[in-house]
Order: sequence, then structure tokens, then C-alpha cells
Amino acid sequence: MSHPLDDRGGDLRALFFESAYELLQTLNDAGLELETHPADPEVIRRVRRVVHTLKGDSAACGYLGLSEMAHELEDVLLPEIGQVRGAQLAEVVLAAADVFDSLLNAYRQNVEPPSTEPLRAQIRQFLKAATHTPAAAPADNRLTARFVWSEYEQLMISEALHRGENVYNLALRIDPQSAMRAAAFQLVRNVLHGIGTVIALHPEDNSAAASVEVIEAAVACTMTEEAIARRCKIPAIVADLVIARATPAETPEHDLLSELLEAQATVTVGAATPAQGAPEQRPSGSASAVNAVVESTLRVETARIDSVMNLVGELIIGKSMLNRAIVEFDRRHAHDPLHAKLLDALSFQARVLDELHKSVLKIRMVPVEQLFRRFPRVVRDVAKQCNKDVALELAGQNTDLDKGILDALAEPITHLVRNAVDHGIEPPEARLAAGKPARGTVFLNAYHQGAQVVTEVRDDGRGIDVARLRAKAVARGLLSAADAERLSDAEAFNLIFEPGLSTAAEVTEVSGRGVGMDIVRSVLDRLKGTVQVSSQLGQGTLIQLRVPLTLASIQALMFRVNNRLFAVPLSSVVEITRVSESEIHRVDQREVLQLRDHILSLVRLSSLERIHAVEARKRSFVIVIGAGERRFGLLVDSLVGEEELVIKALPEEIITSDLVSGASILGDGTVVLILNVSAVLARLSRAPALGAIA
Amino acid sequence: MPQFAALLRKDNQPVRYLVVDDSVFARKNIIKMIEMFGGEVAAEAGDGLTAIAEYNRVKPDVVLMDITMPQMEGIEAVERIVRQHAEARIIMVSSVGYQENILAALQKGAKHFVQKPVKPDGLYEILRYVLSDEAGSASAAPVAAGEEFDQ
Repeated sequence: MSHPLDDRGGDLRALFFESAYELLQTLNDAGLELETHPADPEVIRRVRRVVHTLKGDSAACGYLGLSEMAHELEDVLLPEIGQVRGAQLAEVVLAAADVFDSLLNAYRQNVEPPSTEPLRAQIRQFLKAATHTPAAAPADNRLTARFVWSEYEQLMISEALHRGENVYNLALRIDPQSAMRAAAFQLVRNVLHGIGTVIALHPEDNSAAASVEVIEAAVACTMTEEAIARRCKIPAIVADLVIARATPAETPEHDLLSELLEAQATVTVGAATPAQGAPEQRPSGSASAVNAVVESTLRVETARIDSVMNLVGELIIGKSMLNRAIVEFDRRHAHDPLHAKLLDALSFQARVLDELHKSVLKIRMVPVEQLFRRFPRVVRDVAKQCNKDVALELAGQNTDLDKGILDALAEPITHLVRNAVDHGIEPPEARLAAGKPARGTVFLNAYHQGAQVVTEVRDDGRGIDVARLRAKAVARGLLSAADAERLSDAEAFNLIFEPGLSTAAEVTEVSGRGVGMDIVRSVLDRLKGTVQVSSQLGQGTLIQLRVPLTLASIQALMFRVNNRLFAVPLSSVVEITRVSESEIHRVDQREVLQLRDHILSLVRLSSLERIHAVEARKRSFVIVIGAGERRFGLLVDSLVGEEELVIKALPEEIITSDLVSGASILGDGTVVLILNVSAVLARLSRAPALGAIA
Repeated sequence: MPQFAALLRKDNQPVRYLVVDDSVFARKNIIKMIEMFGGEVAAEAGDGLTAIAEYNRVKPDVVLMDITMPQMEGIEAVERIVRQHAEARIIMVSSVGYQENILAALQKGAKHFVQKPVKPDGLYEILRYVLSDEAGSASAAPVAAGEEFDQ
């Protein structure tokens, strides 16, 4: 059998995954809610609806493992079960959400999906304990009609025949494949009523039909046998059909007749109404509400937005080309009245372009909530695993951030949250002993700050022991004892991001072996963001992640070193100052500058430059660059100016140094390299020797 | 890919469908099948209320209606549509777990139901059946079409 999706490419598949992951999130939310309100039938229904949709979608997409799994789960999602074993039900739901997640991931990566047997076993066991399952009825191969009518029914048949009507005995076997027998029965019933007057029907009601395989009926009608057969061969419902003309029964008892005829009248009326649509009035929304629902969102592939974004980027480059052309024009034809016209047109175009750019950026913006809402589940799980009582507080969920950045932040923030629960928050007894409430709290917050978004993970746990961190770094050979002493506390906190450096006394299942924290930094570097740690022993830890609003373009400061053009993100520039060589001092093999009452480490972009420039240039510029708490000065020959740079990602093969985060092309075709500020800083703190870079 | 003889109306025009499901994915899936059957999607709806409005607007030949939806569930939508348009052909689309709802929808006047996951050949049979109350549908090709099923 050919599958519906086989021939229809990836668009449905992509749509499936997108909606499936959303469903999964909803499932997690509902599962958590179920945990707090175990007996709430509304929550159970909501969970069921989500599982149900997931089942349908995955089956249609050919992911039968997931669909069957969802199907089994659906069976236990009954309010009755919730009443008695709601808490365990929530447990099953959350476990299932995890299994679904791993299945989806496997499907998406086209790898062998993991075994679902443990969960199935859990569900089966749960179901066995909670309900009794009806045994499946054995299938009978041949349809044998009995047409055993009651005395009353026989009487009715005789009466109809007597009136000259055709009466047919019908036997219909419900397709054994049909899983919805009661519904199938109802459908047959509807059809029979459409054929004529139903005199007899076995079984009589829907509930009995669930266990019956063959429906028998006597129908008085004017249709031909073939027409009846056509109506009764209901696809997917009726597997087999027997039609026979009914014959009059033995002489009926007369006394009974009049009484029974009356009964018949009520029966036919009663049976006919449902098919016409019962006029049962339900309280419902007003008719005017009918037109009110309008779809206001549109799903678009990210790739399409990216291509618009790229085009806008090209336009911005075009703008700067025009700008240069006009400057040139002005130089050649000073006082030409055309100049003013060009300038007007250009500024108009620039304004529109600016709006366009912002609008496109806005399309990519999504609220941080999309990421934050997964954390209630994470915190609950981790807290449970390490026997802690932890609350999660969220703030700033409506802060918008570029979708790409948000996705990239998911992993580091997850690490930080897990760490906060596992290592940050103390066990309840320890907290009580320290005079804190037994329940710890992890706070997640997000807000805008200039062109950056700050995401904070804060806990009110034990804080970081800086002394121990220093000792450990020295023990691991990351730093000399002297260097370790020289680090400020703020700098020392950053040691937690070094690979293999975790102060947790024992390695736990949750947070692993300190491999997570260096991921935090590497992701933030990639995003041109910064991490800042502050902590108070016994009070808690605050980790702030700063990322740019968008990766697509930056306001940059351009400068020249040895006639080559470089740029740094303007957001990282703290100030610019001029220095003469005589103000530059050497301390510990480092060049430093006293800037007001601070000592600033200096970086030169090339060792080559260092040799010649010292003599050649008496005065140069220092760009003071800040990344988080840390500052350094960049010695440059000349400043070129500010410009909005559209960042072109550089392929891995081209970048030989992590010190460059990207490149941009100017209007005149010149290539500018954009410095990766945090990488420069890392290099600076790792290599005490004079910064010989690039 | 199985070939299906086009299901046509009595007047040889394509059958017009209204597809109602809150899952965009499920809708797209069904629409692909409808297109395989030579049908025309007159409208789509993501909930019961919209379904009613769209029914009144486009007067489709067949409605494919999901059972569980936000705003207004399939049953109520069926009831309201059938009350106004007794001739409506509504096919419920749902899975095994919602038998009660299907049953109710059938009592309210739905013509048939199809189980998720919807298979093209199964749906085709059901559509042919539901459309056959209008004599001359399926351009008198039910038998020929039946032989072309990919099995």
C-alpha cells in the first residue's frame, strides 16, 4: 500500500515537526498542571486532546511508532482514572512527553528510534491496575443471518406486508477492522432509517452494539433490493450483507394488536427524530460570533524570512555605495544643484530602508517565553531527581529576541538552570539550617538593554566558593598560584566556564562533569554575546547572558591598523581616547595604560605593528572595549567611523582564527573583518605575554 | 501513487469540499487527497464557528470535519449546519478514542465518519458512497474506479 506521504516531499514533514514540537510543549505544560490538579477532568481532557492530535498527525506522516505510542497513552487518559490515580497519571504523561521527544528527534535525524517498550510497559501496568480491559470478540467467518424476531416485531412485519409494502430482512456484518463499533452501529442505523421504516433492529441500542458483530433488521420500504444493497454496503463499516424478503408470520394474537399499533406509532416517531437533527436546544454562542473568527497569524519557513533579510542586507550595502558615490560627486562637481536633489532622494531612501530593515528584523523576533516555558518541566525534573524543593519564577517573558539567537540560547540556559537547581540550591535541611526557607527559588528573567538582550538565571542557593574555585584551577594546572591570586573575584567566577572545572564535590547525573559550562561560553562567543557571573557565598548566584538583538547586522566602529580595515561592535565600545607612546607602560610583560584611576591592559593587533609603530607613531588611538565586567584597550592607528555593517558569515575553512567573528563588505567592495571581542579577551587572559594576535 | 478516477458532481463539475480541522497539518493532508480525487477545496476552517460561517459562505458539497476542536467542537458544528441545511453531507474525521463524539455527531446528522489516520483509498470509498445519494455522481464510474485502487 502506498503511503499518503511518500510522494509528497518535505513540506508536510517540516510542518509536522513544527507542530509536533509545539504539541509536545503543550503536553509538558498540561502534564505539569495535571501534577498540581490531579483530579481535574478538564486538564485530563486537554492532555488527551494534545495526545490525540499528535497521534493523528504522526500516523498521517507515517511515524507509526509514535502514533501507536500516543494511542496507548490516550487509553489511560480518562477522568475516571485521574480521580483515583491522578498523580501517577501525571508521571506517565510527563514520561511519555520525553519518549515522544526522543522519537521525534530520531525521526527528524532519520536514525533508529529508541525503544518505547519501557513506557508501554508502564502504561499497560497502569491500565491493568486502573481499569479492566474488555476482551476482543473472536471473529466469525461466515455471515449467518438468523432473523429471529420477537412476537411484536413479527406482528409489525405482517402488518406492513398486509398493507402491501415490501419488507426486507437485512443482516449486516460490521467490518471487524472497525474499531468504533458503537459509531458504526449508529451509522448503520442512520442508513436504515434513510431506507424506510425500521420495524425491527437487533441489537437495539448503541451500547449493546459494541460487542455485537452482526446487525439484523427488518425494514419496510419502497426501494429495490439492489438499491438497498447499495445503501447498505457502507464503506469501512459493513463487511458483509445478506438481504432477504420477509414473509408473514403465524396468525397474530388480535387483542394485542391495537395496543401494539399505538406503541409502534411512538416508536417510529421516536426513532425518526434523531436522523432529522434533534431540535434539542443547547446554550451556545450568539450567531454574530460566527463571523468573528479570523486567522491572524501566518506560518512561514524561516528560510524565506532569511532570504528577505539577506536582500535587505544587500540594499544596505547598496545604500552605502550610493553614499560614497555622492561624496565623490560632491567633490567633483561642488555646488551642483543636483547634489541637493540626490541628497534628498538618498535620505528618503535611507529612511524607508531603515524602516524596512526594522520590520524584517521584527518578523524574526519571538518572545523569550517560547524558550522559558520549557523550564518549569526542567526544574521540576531536576529538583525531583536530587530531592530538592525548588520553585521557578519567570519574568520578562515578553522580551523579544531573534529566533535564531533564542534557539541557540536554549542549550546554555538549560545548562545554567539545571546547574542552579543541582549545584546552586541546597537540600531543604541545609537551607533550613542556614536560616533560609526550605524551598529554593530559581529566577529567570529577560530584558532589553540597548541593542542587547540580557537573560538572567539567578538562584538563592549556596553561591560560588571563589577560594575553592581558585584552588581547583591551580590544582588542575589552569593557572599558576600567583595568577590565581591576582584574579579579581569577578574574573575568578569566570573560571566556572573552563572545561572540566566544577566545584561540585560529587559528579551527579544531572549536571554531569562540568562539560556543560564551557558550552555556555562557546555558544555565547558564537552569538557575539557575553556571560557575567556574580555570586555571594551563602546568598546565591546570578548569571547574566548578554546577546545582541539580532545577528544580521551591527552598528560597528571601524578603524585601521597597518592600513587594514577592522571593526568592533559599537555596543562593546566603552570609550575612545588618544595616547602617546610615553604613556604606555609595561607591567608583567603586559602593556598597560593608566586611564584615570584604572589600569587598562592594551592589545595590539599585530606583533609586526608593535615593532615598527612604536617608533613610527608618537600618538595613536585606544579604543576601550568592555565585555561584561572586563575592559581592555585596543591600540589602533586611525579611526574610520561608525557604520552599520551587514554581517556575512564566514565559512569555517576561511576563518583561521577565532579572533574574527565575521566579515562585512563595504559599499566600495572593501572587506572589513569584525573582531570577536570576547575571544580577544580570552586570549588576553590566557597568554600573559604581549598580545601578539592575527 | 494510486490513481483515482475523479469524483464529480452530477453536473460534471468538481466536488467542492470544506475541510475543518484545527491541525493545519491534518488539513493539508486531507487537501492533498481531495486534490488526488479531482476535488476542489472551497474553504478551510480551524474551528467549528469558522466552519459554520464558511459553510454558509461557500455551500460545499461535502464537509470533512474534525471531532475535537477549539472554539466549538465538531458535534455542535454538525448540529448547527444540519439544522440549517438538511442536505449537508458531513463526514466526521477522528480517531478511535472519540467514539462517543462520533456517535453524537452521527445522531446530529453527520453522514459518515473516517478514522485517522486517513488513508486515501478509504476516504475515496466513503466519499463515493456519501456522494452516491445524488444519482449519477462519480460520473457513473464507481466500478471502474474501484478496480484502479492500488492495493
